[in-house]
Amino acid sequence: MISTSPQKEDQVVPAIEFARVSKTYQRRLRRPRVAALSEISFEVARGEICGFLGPNGAGKTTSMNVLMGFVYADQGRSRVLNYAPGDVRAKERIGFVPENFAFYRHLDAAHLLEFHLRLSGRRVTDPGALIAGLLAQVKLDGYKGLKIGKYSRGMVQRVGIAQALLGDPELLVLDEPTSGLDPAGRKDVRDLILALKAAGKTIFLSSHILSEVEHVCDRVIIINRGRVVREGALHEILDDGDRVEILVDQLPETVEQAVRQMGASVDRQPSRVRIVADTNQKRRLAEMLWTGGCDLISLAPMKSSLEEMFLKLVGGSSAE
Amino acid sequence: MKIRTIALNTFTGFLHTKVIVVAGLVFALFVLMGTVSVLTFRSKPEYLGSLLHDIAATSMALSAFGSLLAAFAAADAVSAEMKSGTVLAVMARPLRRWQFLAGKYCGVLLLMLAYTVAMLGAGLFLYRLAGLPFRTPWGILIVYPLVRYEVWAAIAMFLVTFLHPVVTMAIVAVIIAVIRIMVSPGAANYPGWIRVPLHVILPFTTSVLSEDRFFSMTRESLHRYPWTYHITALAYGLDYAFVCFLLAVVVFHYRNLSSD
Repeated sequence: MISTSPQKEDQVVPAIEFARVSKTYQRRLRRPRVAALSEISFEVARGEICGFLGPNGAGKTTSMNVLMGFVYADQGRSRVLNYAPGDVRAKERIGFVPENFAFYRHLDAAHLLEFHLRLSGRRVTDPGALIAGLLAQVKLDGYKGLKIGKYSRGMVQRVGIAQALLGDPELLVLDEPTSGLDPAGRKDVRDLILALKAAGKTIFLSSHILSEVEHVCDRVIIINRGRVVREGALHEILDDGDRVEILVDQLPETVEQAVRQMGASVDRQPSRVRIVADTNQKRRLAEMLWTGGCDLISLAPMKSSLEEMFLKLVGGSSAE
Repeated sequence: MKIRTIALNTFTGFLHTKVIVVAGLVFALFVLMGTVSVLTFRSKPEYLGSLLHDIAATSMALSAFGSLLAAFAAADAVSAEMKSGTVLAVMARPLRRWQFLAGKYCGVLLLMLAYTVAMLGAGLFLYRLAGLPFRTPWGILIVYPLVRYEVWAAIAMFLVTFLHPVVTMAIVAVIIAVIRIMVSPGAANYPGWIRVPLHVILPFTTSVLSEDRFFSMTRESLHRYPWTYHITALAYGLDYAFVCFLLAVVVFHYRNLSSD
């Protein structure tokens, strides 16, 4: 189902560009205006998987709505595949999964995909085979004739993913694509995303499931209260830089005292001991542990998890 | 192609909604009332006047209900997409906003075409049941109401692009009531500054685009209305509908499709 068709566009131009984009919602009945985006700027390069993270109400969905042309920004410049958001030429090459994929209750999955295929303008010799293949890909091939209104939340989400792939898109914009899916379903989507990346697609992914983002994304953009608070390659963001983690099988008391005197922290775990120290102490520390009779299991630069990083950046903030 | 796809989907969507079931029941109720009247009076020549009156009243009721149905269907076609969020998946496709609206509008017209044919069928049924000749050309009884429904659908579609559907239907009801008042004999007593603007702004479909006056006319009587009369009347309706649809397109183009 996934093609690796050559892209005619200049590969230097980013897939998505946001430059100082602002959006304020005017509430009715004299309620205060709500600033959803405040001069937000970021880029997503072609061929990369970019995670878009933030707490509830941070502006993720608004950004995606601006990107898709559903909502007009008040200020700033935004481009998608080098076109203005909402431009038909850009939309021909975008697959989109909205946060809560909505559907026509009177259609079954095959008919819904047929409807979207017609709207996509993509010409295929055998639409039935394409649709059957996509339904098999999202594991919905056994529900022929069942109206989508009778589907579970996870099944609806799978239909949403299938419709996004219909036009063989170059850019996939996925707003919480795994919401409602069980662990097996989430793994399927993760594998699908990685397969799409291997096929050269660009993926802009919003998700609350940080471990998932950590598994699939090359870069992440973290926003909070309508502003970008951190962006960069995942390995850069997670790299703590100046600390190392050493795992040893056991740690005699005398050696532990010496280790602590060097400013390292010691955490005794059931089957091993974890030592965290400054990077510039690692050689001395390793020699000391070795001569002290400890067996080194591993010595690696310290990395924080995305969740730790996320919580550090946004704290407990949420607009909900 | 894309407009047709949306139009057909809108039409089939209508056939699965409860509102259409209710509309069908109301339609059947009107026809039933007309049938009862015909069965009561048909064998009594002295009541021919009452018979004709009741058949005309049934046809007028069906016709007027059609205007409300057209307005409701148009308002629902757009607002249901916005409310459910299906508009986002559709507008993510290479589709312009006016194409989406045009598809929705055509879907409503398909529904109203089906309604008009059913209305004509009901009229024919009542005339046949009464044993009366049905002499009005069918084309007039299809084109006039259809153009009138186009007008009401376009008005509702324009209003619903920026108003809640309930408010939209309330405004449509008020417009219909005002038109009824303005075409009543007493309206001649109203000052010109009220009558003239209302005649310019409001769609006087009940007088210009009414097919009721053609019922039971002989072909000879119909000749009193030259083809230019029909063209002018229909052009008035089509023009009104087109302007309202254009306004809907402009408002829909600039509005947000999501409030998230």
